[in-house]
Amino acid sequence: MSEPTKPQPANPASSNARPARRSSGGAVPGILKGLATTARTLARPTHTAEYPDVSPHLPPRSRGVIALLEENCTSCMLCARECPDWCIYIDSHKETIPATTPGGRDRQRNVLDRFAIDFSLCMYCGICIEVCPFDALHWSPEFEYSELDIRDLLHEKDRLGQWMPTVPPPPALDEHAAEPAEVAAVNKPPRTARTPTARPARPTRVTPAPEGEA
Amino acid sequence: MTGADALEVVVRAVAVLAAFLVLPLLVGQTEHKVMAHMQGRLGPMYAGGFHGWAQLVADGVKFVQKEDITPAAADKGVFRFAPAVALVPYLVAMAVIPLSPDVVAADAPAGAVFVLAVTAVGILGTLMAGWASANKYSLLGAMRAAAQLLSYELPMVLAVASVCLAAGTLSLTGIAHAWSPWWLLWQLPGAVVFLVSAVAELQRPPFDMPVADSEIVFGAYTEYTGLRFAFFLLSEYAGIVVMSLLFTVLYLGGWQGPLSDQLGWLWTVLKGFCIAVVVIWLRVAWPRLREDQLQRLAWLVLVPLALAQLALTGVWVVLTA
Amino acid sequence: MTGLDLAFAAVGVVAAASGLLAVTTRHVVHAALWLVVCLGSVAGCYLVLGAELVALVQVLVYVGAVVVLVLFALMLTRAPIGPRAEISTSRLHRALAAVLGAGVTVLLASVLLPLAHPVDRHETDTTVLSRELFGTWVWPFEVLSLLLLAALVAALAVSRVGARSGDVRDGAARAEAELRTARGDAS
Repeated sequence: MSEPTKPQPANPASSNARPARRSSGGAVPGILKGLATTARTLARPTHTAEYPDVSPHLPPRSRGVIALLEENCTSCMLCARECPDWCIYIDSHKETIPATTPGGRDRQRNVLDRFAIDFSLCMYCGICIEVCPFDALHWSPEFEYSELDIRDLLHEKDRLGQWMPTVPPPPALDEHAAEPAEVAAVNKPPRTARTPTARPARPTRVTPAPEGEA
Repeated sequence: MTGADALEVVVRAVAVLAAFLVLPLLVGQTEHKVMAHMQGRLGPMYAGGFHGWAQLVADGVKFVQKEDITPAAADKGVFRFAPAVALVPYLVAMAVIPLSPDVVAADAPAGAVFVLAVTAVGILGTLMAGWASANKYSLLGAMRAAAQLLSYELPMVLAVASVCLAAGTLSLTGIAHAWSPWWLLWQLPGAVVFLVSAVAELQRPPFDMPVADSEIVFGAYTEYTGLRFAFFLLSEYAGIVVMSLLFTVLYLGGWQGPLSDQLGWLWTVLKGFCIAVVVIWLRVAWPRLREDQLQRLAWLVLVPLALAQLALTGVWVVLTA
Repeated sequence: MTGLDLAFAAVGVVAAASGLLAVTTRHVVHAALWLVVCLGSVAGCYLVLGAELVALVQVLVYVGAVVVLVLFALMLTRAPIGPRAEISTSRLHRALAAVLGAGVTVLLASVLLPLAHPVDRHETDTTVLSRELFGTWVWPFEVLSLLLLAALVAALAVSRVGARSGDVRDGAARAEAELRTARGDAS
């Protein structure tokens, strides 16, 4: 029909002067191809995700919401300090545990009073989860927690804890990967009592030796 | 005029109005669904319950609720009147298209010319809208529309003239009566020309330069809101209905088919529906033509083709007469 | 007075009124749109008189093509919305035009009114019309089409002469300059 690929000369008069049909045969199959492609797609099943009716299939590492395992939290504040948005609020107080053995020292322990994440500020970077040394924070693929009021997106620790059951188990390790740290710790033989001879005394001053640094 | 006559006129008018309000919605819903599935989507699924059948009704309700805005700089009378000018001609055209020898609201003796003349008036609505909006995009859209419609009116009239010549009549019922399957081959170039220029006249993709939304917002309809905008949309879909039925009557024999005595109207509607689906299909499959390609196609391809078809028909009619 | 007389009078009045509005309105585009109404009601007159095909061709050609062309040409100009003083004719011109128009009207009316008689509708069959057109009136018809063809060729020649002398950029610059002078804003 027409030649859509051919660049049009700037002057319409000059294009009239010479016969402007170079890529004939290129256009018509292209036109038919368009029709054929759409017809084939019409015959195939659709790709539409019917979301509210059919729940979506999310990959295991989806960043839906941050869940809190309260027992693991030591109120160390690392997450709150690392958070780029300052959207984690932690209140805690110290509690004294009396000594269990006579003559022993009383110990102090942090007790978590409040742990809240403001999801209206959170940018889902996951730094808090990365930084938590005690695995108290986890990604959950749960994402349906929208609110009508933005202020209702500030979720306290009980709500964050409710998401804990939706956290998927961690992915299986690779075939030849090292043992996970927890397993290695359990399997390690119990430590013997520390004796002065158990550790070789470090020389206080060593003559500089080039291979000593390695 | 007796009371029975008056009643018949009223019944026919109401039937045409009902068809005018229902068939475009049917085509629109088909477009929603066919286009969606051609793109691997589902289309509307919720409105009305079953596969979103009431989507366009819901759209209509939405349009009614919207504020009716007339731009401050617009030529207010012309701006407000334009949708009616665009819409009413298709309503009138629908009245003369026969679904079967009996099912026709008004059997005009020169029906073919009547439909062409009336649809040509509808174009004025677009021009009025584009000029009166006082918006540069509207004006550009209207100018593109005018240029396009002037170019494609000619091959369309020539193609229809060829059919009228072959049938020896200007009446749409007469043309469908004179039709024989042999026409499918003999009038094929004319049919192609008619279909292409009908799509161009409706400003449907791939001939939607006048409303090219990525270039000039929405062409002549940019400033329209609410019900007036809905009227323009309705006129587009009513145009598809009119052109599809006209194509059916002119080139596909209208009601001719098995059991045409009882089910003639159904045949016409079915064939027309297939043509409407083709028009929708073209929209999905093909990209928009550039303005120069559009004019080139009209003047260098369609007009010579239509003239050749006219000459062929004329020679054949004279030889066999 | 029959119903036919009444219908004819109605469309006639509409045609006359819209024609008057077309020449008196001070909006250029409104004039074109009143022309649409005028031509449409003239088609209505034909319809009342029984010449269906002529009426339809009138709508198809004049409303569908000629006025669309006129509107297209108007859009290419700076057709303003609302009246403009600089493109309005002066009072003297208007008075002269009114006198001239009235004179022509009186002349035509004095000739045509004595011929007026009640509307008699005779259905003009398309076959009869075509036989008349291509039998009795075939020479005027062909000469007219030749005239139109000559005008078409002349228009083409005029537009081509401008394009041939000088290259594209010259042509574009000249066209722009012409447009500027036509618009009257040399600044």
